[in-house]
Amino acid sequence: MSSAATSMPRRSANTLGHKLRVAGGVAISLVFLFPIYWMILTSFKDQVDIFTTPPKFFFTPTLAAYVEYMQRADIVNRLINTIIVATGAGLLSIVVGTMAGYALARIRLRGAATFGLLILLSRGVPPIALAVPMFLVARKFGLIDKHITLILAYSTFLIPYVMWLMRSFFMGLPRELEESAMIDGCSRYGAFFKIILPISLPGVLSTLIFSMILAWEELLFALVLTNRHASTIPVAIAGIAGDTVNGANWAALTAVGTITVIPVVIFALMVQKWLIKGLAEGATKG
Amino acid sequence: MGTVQIRDVRKSYGAVEVLHGVSIDIEDGEFVALVGPSGCGKSTLLRMIAGLEDITGGEILISDRVVNGVAPKDRDIAMVFQNYALYPHMNVRDNMGFALRQRRVSRTEIVERVDNAARILGLEPLLDRKPRQLSGGQRQRVAMGRAIVRNPNVFLFDEPLSNLDAKLRVQMRSEIKELHQRLKTTTIYVTHDQIEAMTLADRVVVMNGGIIEQVGSPLELYDNPASLFVAAFIGSPPMNFLEGDLINKTNFALDDGTVLTLPVADSSNRSRATIGIRPEHFTIGDTGWPALVSVIEPTGSETQITARLAGKTIRVLIRGRTSTRPGETIHLNVDPQLIHFFDAAPVPVVAELEDVA
Repeated sequence: MSSAATSMPRRSANTLGHKLRVAGGVAISLVFLFPIYWMILTSFKDQVDIFTTPPKFFFTPTLAAYVEYMQRADIVNRLINTIIVATGAGLLSIVVGTMAGYALARIRLRGAATFGLLILLSRGVPPIALAVPMFLVARKFGLIDKHITLILAYSTFLIPYVMWLMRSFFMGLPRELEESAMIDGCSRYGAFFKIILPISLPGVLSTLIFSMILAWEELLFALVLTNRHASTIPVAIAGIAGDTVNGANWAALTAVGTITVIPVVIFALMVQKWLIKGLAEGATKG
Repeated sequence: MGTVQIRDVRKSYGAVEVLHGVSIDIEDGEFVALVGPSGCGKSTLLRMIAGLEDITGGEILISDRVVNGVAPKDRDIAMVFQNYALYPHMNVRDNMGFALRQRRVSRTEIVERVDNAARILGLEPLLDRKPRQLSGGQRQRVAMGRAIVRNPNVFLFDEPLSNLDAKLRVQMRSEIKELHQRLKTTTIYVTHDQIEAMTLADRVVVMNGGIIEQVGSPLELYDNPASLFVAAFIGSPPMNFLEGDLINKTNFALDDGTVLTLPVADSSNRSRATIGIRPEHFTIGDTGWPALVSVIEPTGSETQITARLAGKTIRVLIRGRTSTRPGETIHLNVDPQLIHFFDAAPVPVVAELEDVA
C-alpha cells in the first residue's frame, strides 16, 4: 500500500451520498442482526415472557435454559462432534480444494474447463437428492453415525466451493511468480508450496473459515447420516424445535442456537483481519 | 560455456502455428536482442528457451546440450520478467538468495554472493525491505540481482524495462549494458522497442509474424535492411517510403506522376519499386526534389521537418536549426549511397509501436 493512498484527502466523508450509503448500510445490518438479537434475547426469557404479546423487550433474565441444556450430555457431545466434523471437513476440503483450484487456474489440460464446470454444476443438485443415496452408500460401508462419514459428505460440497474460490484467487496472482520460481530451481509443486501458498495464506484461511462455518451449520446430511454418536448440534436444535411430545421449548431452542452461533462469531472476530485481507487480496498485486 | 542454438524451432497452439521455424546461433558471451511488434513470437521463443513453453518442433541447445525435455530449473538460466515477479513475502535478500537456497548452496556462500550482487547493483541499503516497499526501478534492479547471483549460463530478459518511465528506462538500459560488459554472460533480451535493441545488443534479431526477418548487428540492420519490414521497424523517426515505377534505371515515377531523378541506379531488374530514405539522410539545398513544409519540430540539437513530397508525407531530420517556415518549399537531396530499394509492397505499419509502454 503506497503512502499516497493513505494520505489522500477523504473528500467523500461529508457528502450527502456518503451519508446515505452509511444509513443504508446500517439499515441492512439491522435487518440481518435482528433475528440474532431476538434469538439471544429469547434465550434469556422464561416460557411466560416468550409468549407474551406484544413481545417484551424488558424482562427478568433467566439462565435456566442454558443451565439445563449445557448439563445435558447429548448437547455437549454434539457440540464436540460439530467441532470435530467442521474442523475435519474444513481441513480436508481446504487441502484438496486449494490444490484442485490451483490446477484449474494454472495447468493447461484438455477438458479442464469442462471438468471445472461439471464440478460447479454438481452443486446445482439439491442436497436432499443426494442424502438418500449417501445414506445407502454409508450403510453399505458400515459408516453410519461416524464422524468420518459427515466429513466426507460435507467435503462433497465444500471441495467444489473451495476449489472455485481458490481458483479465482490464484488466477489473480501473476503467473510469472511460479515461472520465476521454477527457473530458480523449484518443481511445479515446489513453486506452489514455497511461493504461491505463502502468498495465498490470507485467501486460504478465509476460505477455510467459510468452509468450516458451512460445515458447522449443516443440518440435512447430519440428520440423515448420523444417530446418537456422531450427530451434530444443528440436529439437536431441529430436535428441540420438532419436539411434538412436549411442544417446542423456545428458551431451550434459542439457548442452544446461541451456543451454536457464538463460537462462530468469536472465531470470525478473531480472524477478521485475515478474512478482510483475504477477500480484498484478489484486487491488489504486490 | 553459454552458447544457445535454436534450430528450426516451431510452436503451435492447437492448429495455430505461431513460430514457423526459427534458427539462431548465439555465441558465448553474446548479447542478442529479439525485437519485433507484439505477436511476432519473440516472447514465445524466449519462454521456450527458458522451458516455460513446450517446443512443438525443432531443437534448442544450451551449452551444446539439447534442452527440449529439460525442466526450467535444470537449464542453468536466469530470467528477468517484465513485471519482475519478485516473491512478495520475502525481503530483497531472500528474493536474491532463493535460487541458491534451492540449490543447497551453503549459507555463508549465499550471503557472500547476495552481498556481492547487491554491491554491483547498489541494493545494499534495501536488502531487508519487502518488494512492496520498493520503487519500480528498485524492483527492477532486485529482479536483475536475483538473476546475477545465480551466475547462470544464460540471462533471459523479457521486456524488463517496459514498466518503467521513460527516464528510468534509459538509465536502466545503460546499467544493463554495463552489467553485461562486466559479467560477459550470454544474454537474450526481448523487447518491442527497437531503440533498446539497437543500443544494447551485439546482434539484433528482427522478428515478424513468427519468422525471422533479419539477423545482424544494429548498424547492419540500419544500413542494410533486408526487407521493407526491417527498414520500417529499425530507425527513429522511421524511414520514408515512396512507391513508384522505374521508368528506366534512374527515373522513378511516383504514383501521382511526379518523376524523380534518382542519383543512383537500381541494380535489379524490377520495374515497380519502393524506395526508402531515412529522415536523417536528406540534406536541404538550393536544388533537388521540391517539398512543401507543413510542420517544423525543433528539439534543440536537431529539427524534424514534416513535408509533402509529390503528394506523400515525408519526414526530414536535420542537425541543428532551420529558418524554414511551414508553407515554404525546400529542396531535398540524398546521398546516392543511402537510398534503399525494395520490391514494391504495402509499407508495414510499425511506426506506432515505437513508444508502446
